[in-house]
Amino acid sequence: MKARLAMTLALASLWHRKKVLTLVCLTLTLSVSLLLGIQYLRTEVKHSFTSTISGTDLIVGARSGQLNLLLYTVFHIGDATNNIRWSTYQSLKNDARLEWLIPISLGDSYRGNRVVATDENFLKYFRYGRGLPLELTEGRWFEDVFDVVLGAGVARSLGHQVGEQIVLSHGGGRTSFSNHEDTPFMVTGILEPTGTPVDQAVYIGLDGMEAMHVGWESGVAIPGRTITPEQAEGRDFTPDAITAAFVGIEQQVLTFRIQREINQFAGEPLSAILPGVALSELWRLMGQFERALLGITGFVVITSLIGLVAVLLTLQAQRAHEIAVLRATGASPALIASLYILECVALALVACVMALAVGMAGLSLASPWLLANYGLQITLRPLTAAEWALLASVPVAAFAVALIPAFNTWRQSRRLGFGEAGDQ
Amino acid sequence: MTTKTDSASNSSRSAETAIEISGLGFSWDPAQEALIFPDITLKRGEHLFLHSPSGSGKSTLLSLLAGMLRPAGGSVRVLGTDIHRLSAGKRDQFRADHMGVIFQQFNLVPYLNTRANVTLPCGLSQLRKQRTEPTVADEAERLLAALSIPEDHWQRKVTRLSIGQQQRIAAARALIGAPGLILADEPTSALDVDNRDRFLELLLNLAHRHSTSVLFVSHDQSLARHFGNRLELRGDRT
Repeated sequence: MKARLAMTLALASLWHRKKVLTLVCLTLTLSVSLLLGIQYLRTEVKHSFTSTISGTDLIVGARSGQLNLLLYTVFHIGDATNNIRWSTYQSLKNDARLEWLIPISLGDSYRGNRVVATDENFLKYFRYGRGLPLELTEGRWFEDVFDVVLGAGVARSLGHQVGEQIVLSHGGGRTSFSNHEDTPFMVTGILEPTGTPVDQAVYIGLDGMEAMHVGWESGVAIPGRTITPEQAEGRDFTPDAITAAFVGIEQQVLTFRIQREINQFAGEPLSAILPGVALSELWRLMGQFERALLGITGFVVITSLIGLVAVLLTLQAQRAHEIAVLRATGASPALIASLYILECVALALVACVMALAVGMAGLSLASPWLLANYGLQITLRPLTAAEWALLASVPVAAFAVALIPAFNTWRQSRRLGFGEAGDQ
Repeated sequence: MTTKTDSASNSSRSAETAIEISGLGFSWDPAQEALIFPDITLKRGEHLFLHSPSGSGKSTLLSLLAGMLRPAGGSVRVLGTDIHRLSAGKRDQFRADHMGVIFQQFNLVPYLNTRANVTLPCGLSQLRKQRTEPTVADEAERLLAALSIPEDHWQRKVTRLSIGQQQRIAAARALIGAPGLILADEPTSALDVDNRDRFLELLLNLAHRHSTSVLFVSHDQSLARHFGNRLELRGDRT
C-alpha cells in the first residue's frame, strides 16, 4: 500500500515540477542518445570496417608484415616494399587450386587518389561488405589502354563525368609536379559507392599503367621517349611486375596450406596474408580510440546525472513544507527518502525511452544520407545485449546518484519535530 | 508547577483517555535544565484548549505527543499506548493510524489536488482506510462538503485555493478515517475572525461526530470559550 502511495506521490511530484524537470530530462536524453548512438555506431562501423574486403581468401605481395600489406593494398596507405615478378604472377595463375587472381599495380596517383592498375577480374571477383559485388553507376569497365574507371568518391568530389579526359600523376602524394601529360586517360565508367577505400581510387588496366610509363624509366619523363596514345596502338604492354594480387581459393580448406606454400615460394620472397585476420588486428589497434570515445560519452551521461541531482537538491529546499506534512501524517523517513529515488529513476527511464526514440528516428533519417555521402551502410537493427546493458546502466546510475538527496532527506526528516520544516 | 486544568478526571481507564501525560520533561542538551510539562489527562472525544504564549514549549509538547521527539523523562500515553516505548517505525505508524494534524500554514502537499490531500492518511494507514464509510472517496467528499469546499475545487490544485479553504482541507485530512486524536497547532492564526470562528465550529462538530479528541494549541485566549477543557502552558524548567 505504501509502495503505491510512494509511486503516486513521486509521479505527482514529477508532474508538478515538470517545467524544470523537462529540461533536465532533455539533457539526460541527449546524453543517453549520444552514449547509445556511439555504442551502436561502434558496432556498425566495426562491422563495416572488417568487411572492407570480403570473399578474398589471400592477399599476396612482396615479403612484408601483414598489416603493411593490408594497408597498401586495401586501404591505399603507405607504399609497397617491393614488387612481384610477372613470371611469379603467371605461375600463381597457373595453379589450379586458385580460382581467381586480381592483379594490383600501384604507384601513381590522381589528385591525391591512388591509381590502381588491375584487370577485369577486379570488377568480376572483388567483394566487400556482406559479399557485395562492385557495380558501375554509369559507363562501362575499362577496355582500351587509356581508359579509366573512377571510384564513387573521386567522381563526386572532383565532379567528373563519363567521357572526360584526365591526366594522372607520377608517384603518390596529393600534389605532384610530374604528370603523365602525354597520355591522358578517358573516363569510361564510375563505380557505385561502397563505403570502402574502393571509392577513393581510380582504376586503369595493367597495360595503361605500362604505357604511360614508357620513357619514364629514370623516374621523370625524358622528352621524346614518351609515347602518345596514337603511338601506343598495337603495342604490347605486358608489365614486368605487379605490386600484389588478391586471391580466391576454390577449396577454402586449402587456404592455410596455400598460404604456407606462397610464403615459402622459392622464386622470390612473398607474403600471403588472410585479410580477415589482418583486418581484425588493425581494428584492435584502432579499437583503443573508439573505447576512449565511449568512455568520454559515459562521462557526459554522468555529468548530466550530476546535473539532475543538483536540480533535485535545489528543489529539496522547496520541499521542506511538504516533507513536514508527510512526516506529521505518519510517513516514515524511508518513505520520504524513497520519493527522491523513485523520481530520479523515473526520470532516467523516461530519458532512456526518449533516447531510444531519438536514436531510432535519427538513424532512419541519417542512414540514407550516410550511405550517399560516406558510403556507410548503417541499418536499424535490434539492440545487442551489450547495448541493452549500457542502456540499463543509466537508471542504475540514476538510482546511485539519487541516494545523495535521499540520504540527506532521510537524515533530516528523522530529526524533524512536529510541523517543523527542517533547517532552511 | 502551575497548571490549571478544568478536566482532571484521573480515574478514567487508559483506553478511554485520548491523552495521558505524566511527569513529562524534555531537554535538547542534557547539561541544561529540562523543560517540564504539566500532567494532562484528556478523555476520549473531549477537546482541550492549550493556551501557549511563545517560548512555552508548545512545539516541543506537540512533537512529544506526535512521537517525533523523545522525552527526557515521564510518559506519554495516547489512546492508551505509551508511544515512547514503540520503535521509531511503529511510532510513525501509530501517528498515521491514530492522529490527525493541522498546522498553522503550509498544511497541504502542493502537487496533490484537494481530494488526494484529504485521502493522504488513508494511503499511510490501513486502519483509517477501513474506518472510512463506505469508501475513502465517499468520506473525503462528505468531509469536503461538510467543510464547505465547493465541488469544483475538489480536483483543483491546492496552491490555487485561499488560505481559509486550505485550512479546511487540512481539517478534512485530519478528520478522515476517524483518528482518536487531532493535534491542531494554531490552525486559525492565518484566518480572519469570521473564518476563524466558522472553522473552529466545523472542526469541533465534525470531530465530535467521529468521537475524535482535538488538542487545540493557540496563543489567542479568545478562542478558549469554544472549549470545555483549558490549560495554560508556561514553559517551566526544573
